[in-house]
Amino acid sequence: MTEPFLVARNIAKRFGALTALANVDLEIRSGEVLALLGDNGAGKSTFIKILAGAHPPSDGELVIEGSPVAFSSPKDAASSGIATIFQELALSENLSIAENVFLGRELKRSILGIPFLKRKEMRQRVDGLLKELDAHISDPEAPVGSLSGGQRQAVAICRALNLNARLVIMDEPTAALAVAETRKVLALTRRLAARGCAVVLISHNISEVFEVADRIVVFRRGRKVAERLAAETNHEEVVSLITGAHPDVRALEKPN
Amino acid sequence: MYAVRQFGNGIFSMNGREWSLLVACLLAIILFSVVSPHYATSGNAATVLRNSVELLLIGLGMTLLLAMGGIDVSIGIVMGLAAIAIGRVLGAGGNPLLALVAGPMVGALLGCVTATVVVLGRVPAIVGTLGLLGVYRTAVFVLLGGQWLSGLPSSLTNLLATTVLGVPVPALVIAIAYLAVWLALRRTPYGLHLLAIGNSEEKARLSGIPVIKTRFMTFVISCVLTGIAATFYVATYRNVEMTIGSTLALDAIAAVILGGTSILGGRCSLIGTVLGVLLLRILQNGLLLIGVPSLWQPVVTGILIIGVLGFEAVSNRFPLVQLLRARA
Ligand SMILES: Nc1ncnc2c1ncn2[C@@H]1O[C@H](COP(=O)(O)OP(=O)(O)OP(=O)(O)O)[C@@H](O)[C@H]1O
Ligand SMILES: [Mg+2]
Repeated sequence: MTEPFLVARNIAKRFGALTALANVDLEIRSGEVLALLGDNGAGKSTFIKILAGAHPPSDGELVIEGSPVAFSSPKDAASSGIATIFQELALSENLSIAENVFLGRELKRSILGIPFLKRKEMRQRVDGLLKELDAHISDPEAPVGSLSGGQRQAVAICRALNLNARLVIMDEPTAALAVAETRKVLALTRRLAARGCAVVLISHNISEVFEVADRIVVFRRGRKVAERLAAETNHEEVVSLITGAHPDVRALEKPN
Repeated sequence: MYAVRQFGNGIFSMNGREWSLLVACLLAIILFSVVSPHYATSGNAATVLRNSVELLLIGLGMTLLLAMGGIDVSIGIVMGLAAIAIGRVLGAGGNPLLALVAGPMVGALLGCVTATVVVLGRVPAIVGTLGLLGVYRTAVFVLLGGQWLSGLPSSLTNLLATTVLGVPVPALVIAIAYLAVWLALRRTPYGLHLLAIGNSEEKARLSGIPVIKTRFMTFVISCVLTGIAATFYVATYRNVEMTIGSTLALDAIAAVILGGTSILGGRCSLIGTVLGVLLLRILQNGLLLIGVPSLWQPVVTGILIIGVLGFEAVSNRFPLVQLLRARA
């Protein structure tokens, strides 16, 4: 088994009186697709926002390749090789595709000490990425706000690819997609893992998860309640873990 | 809403809004010429352009602020404070070159104060700058001691009334400011960041944009442009009165919104701002010439703001209007 790319130890997150996450321990390995499952409000998005540097954890630590890290912004996480496609996508609807893909890490040249955008190069790189993704977008100069849900997802994925990330996190990437586009995104997660990237995928679609995931982790009410190799579990067991009907989960939740 | 809109990224890109403004300017000029025999003179044209200088500079900064989802309602009184500083330098017989840098420097300083309150202190921009407006208004009163600064020496005036290669200095400065702001907005990472913040500050943050730095800079840039405007104000009028700048913020916001910049942020038009300023000044000047007292000027400005925003709200709400627009 490969050495983990990222280890999360005892992660907790509180929003005021609300405990969104508690005592989460998790290892994320390179070359592996890890699926995070759980009911609405289980804490999945909150957890990946901590990985992405968007929220500081209230407790616990993150270790990347053996050394502890503390992210104070999404930019920090990005420079540690973590790319996140948020559930809300976090795209700027008023900017073009290329502008979105490079937002926050633009290609620039310095003239008289002033950074100017290398617009042509950015445009070319994005055209290449879109081709690689097999995404059909007629006008790359169009504002992202005019694109369909699937096309926006493709732009968000381009952003992640463009970072050359070591860990790509996708929060419900297929929720808004039609069948064909869903297939493309799932194939892409496998391709990323084959390239040696670690992938974390959040999804409510269990068959989809079994199609691509190597490992499955289930969250429930802010806690990690189960971890299974996809090959060693099945659809029914996962459902019972999510709903809390599984004996393991019951045993865990009994004391409270 | 995004589908029909093309990006106006060129330095003078004109869309429907900008052309309508240009037509409105021409119509107003024709109308006033018919009504008043004193209107269509070269002297009056010069007056309108002269009256537009400060508002053009301030409007450029206000365009950046509104595009970023910010606003600064204290901008008029910032010009007042900068003007007092310039006046003091001139009054003390100071070097006119020192008077030249006093405006932008006081502007930068006040910009830092505003940015500290609004950006670092996280006070909503409209509230924070309204608070500062009160503070600065009193500062102007105290500094002037209830009297006008008047009869200032003409050294600065002489310096700025010249032409370079046949171009009047104010026109040259405005052209340079326009070019600089356009480059910053459309050709640098700063401009992208500003527009992304105007679209959604939270999404901008998640994208890894330096939100605080970008917002801070923009409030300062706007105040520096205001400081430059103060320099032209003092050079022209050679006095500073108690009520200086009291309608400037209103005028600037009106001109920028007229120009097609979204009050909600994320979208702006620089050429629209220029045309918005000209339309506003043409209307104000024309109404004065046909005998409407200047007391009514803010009423006209207010009606323009309400009219434009009202029209936009209605056209975004009612499908019929949208349909008509999509067909147009
Ligand atoms: N910024 C926030 N402030 C306060 N509470 C929050 C915040 N973000 C999330 N929460 C709360 O934390 C809990 C976990 O939310 P989270 O978004 O992580 O769930 P999720 O597992 O992603 O759910 P879903 O499947 O619906 O996306 C919820 O109760 C939510 O209301
Ligand atoms: Mg979620």
